[in-house]
Amino acid sequence: MRNTTKSPVEFTALASETVLQFLQANEDTNFAVRIQVASPSPLDPRYEITMIEPGEKRAEDLVFDGHGFEVVMEPESVKLLEGARIDWIETLTESGFKVENPNLAPIGSKPLEGPLTDRVRQAIDQFVNPGVAQHGGQVTLVEVRDNIVYLQMGGGCQGCGMASVTLSQGIERILREQVPEIEGIEDVTNHSDGQNPYISASK
Amino acid sequence: MSRVLLLLSRTSYRAEAFVSAARRLEVDVTVGSNHGQALADLTPGGALTLGVGNIDRSVASIVRFASDYPLTAIVAAEDDFAPVAAATSEVLGLTHHPPEAVRSARNKAVMRQRLEAAGFPSPWFHVASVEDDAEATAVRARYPCVLKPLALSASRGVIRADTPEEFGRAWSRIRGILEQPDAVTRSGSGVAKILIEGYMPGSEVALEGIVVGGELQTLAVLDKPDPMEGPFFEETILVTPSRLPESVQLEIVSCVQRSVAILGLDDGPVHAELRVNAERASLLEIAPRSIGGRCSTILHFEPEATLEELILHHALGMPIDEYSRAPGARGVMMLPIPESGVLREVSGSEAALEIPGIEGLEITIPVGQKVVPLPEGNHYLGFLFARAPTSEQVEAALRVAYARLDMKVEPS
Repeated sequence: MRNTTKSPVEFTALASETVLQFLQANEDTNFAVRIQVASPSPLDPRYEITMIEPGEKRAEDLVFDGHGFEVVMEPESVKLLEGARIDWIETLTESGFKVENPNLAPIGSKPLEGPLTDRVRQAIDQFVNPGVAQHGGQVTLVEVRDNIVYLQMGGGCQGCGMASVTLSQGIERILREQVPEIEGIEDVTNHSDGQNPYISASK
Repeated sequence: MSRVLLLLSRTSYRAEAFVSAARRLEVDVTVGSNHGQALADLTPGGALTLGVGNIDRSVASIVRFASDYPLTAIVAAEDDFAPVAAATSEVLGLTHHPPEAVRSARNKAVMRQRLEAAGFPSPWFHVASVEDDAEATAVRARYPCVLKPLALSASRGVIRADTPEEFGRAWSRIRGILEQPDAVTRSGSGVAKILIEGYMPGSEVALEGIVVGGELQTLAVLDKPDPMEGPFFEETILVTPSRLPESVQLEIVSCVQRSVAILGLDDGPVHAELRVNAERASLLEIAPRSIGGRCSTILHFEPEATLEELILHHALGMPIDEYSRAPGARGVMMLPIPESGVLREVSGSEAALEIPGIEGLEITIPVGQKVVPLPEGNHYLGFLFARAPTSEQVEAALRVAYARLDMKVEPS
């Protein structure tokens, strides 16, 4: 356990106030705030923010003091939450902490901007790769020429028996929807060199 | 726009061929598979995850799906999904072989029983359970015979026995294969069965066709020039057009047409395997699907179309009688796995591809993966493709190119 003051996250005034109110109401216990990334998938990133007692801190935890209260995080969550902003929201139907994390922006939350190639790359990063990563795969943009997108599939996608399905039913449909001026998608992967395909054909 | 549901097993060799065919026909595609597609959540209507075991549940899923995305056709690329495709097509009123015909053709024992009952020339056969006494079963058998585990496909576990002693060894070996996890899954909850039938001597051929309204349209007759005499029956070379005399080819077509009629296969692709002995054709089996592996690559038609396009054409209600096999000869060699172990290297590919007539080589097992030859294994090492003016040239090119390949397999 190591204490430091440079916190990777920022609390809004309302979020800080909410935490402090809780701590004042329970001042005998000396609670700290644990923040962790429960699911890093950009398809559906999830976070857990809980009040913990001193005995619940773990040896590997990092502790940050700069908020007027202790914030406890695992090293892996620190990396994923660098620059995140924590707010408190209260509506008629729900109340709770809301995490805005630029590292795990949910799919579709960032507008695609810039020249065609940049937008295709952003669409691949935002929409395609988080999905294929679930099968150990990755897709890399080779180039966009004459509105044709040339892609390379790697990891579990390279040599996978279902790669053509992922390409036509998934990647192509997503890219055409997100970047309508695209006229075609070409897979330039050498699938024979795939060392660890997600699925090997056998029938 | 029409929408076709392509049913692909998770380990299908055919995904690319069917998806490309659908694209060329400009139809919307949904891929149904027993494998969750990576991007399915982001592309509604593009994919459907289905089981092959529980047909009723899969049919219900597809019918529900079809209420949101109306289907014009359902096509199963392989055997596994053929019952689901047939049952759902019947419910939705789509063109397909009927479910009962598919069931009969998929089960080699039921097929033999139905053909024999209809007076179709059939070899002696007997259906045994793996729990039967092997010695007693061997005594009942006539020799030479072939043992075929019903749950397996693509010659896996198919072994010839010429004597009761060989029968006993084959039986033990098949029992071992049927205990492998994937074989247990394929066998389902019942006791695994073994079809024992009289060995039919002669050369082996295949017929690829599409049945349209009960009438067989033959797309190709393919020779298998390597002797298939056992004890195992590994597929190697397929060449079309056949070099058999026209009268024998007509006999082959007639034999398949009669079996199609008896089994009730009336709308969809069929792939038949036959033996030809003294100009007489005998049916080994007929499947309610098209040719497996990457072998459809060698079937080209005029006007320009692939086998998968013709299958989709027919399923979508379009005529296929204007198509005929493209001129010239083509062939494929399914590369056998030389021994059990770990594949370390496949060398000589460039030298093989330099042989005139060789059009392609696909190694479909990644280096570093465990490989198992027949009768236990269920993978080919890869496929070698050739094209030339004559079938003799195609066969020669495949043999010379294969000789240039060197597969290094180390003990695992």
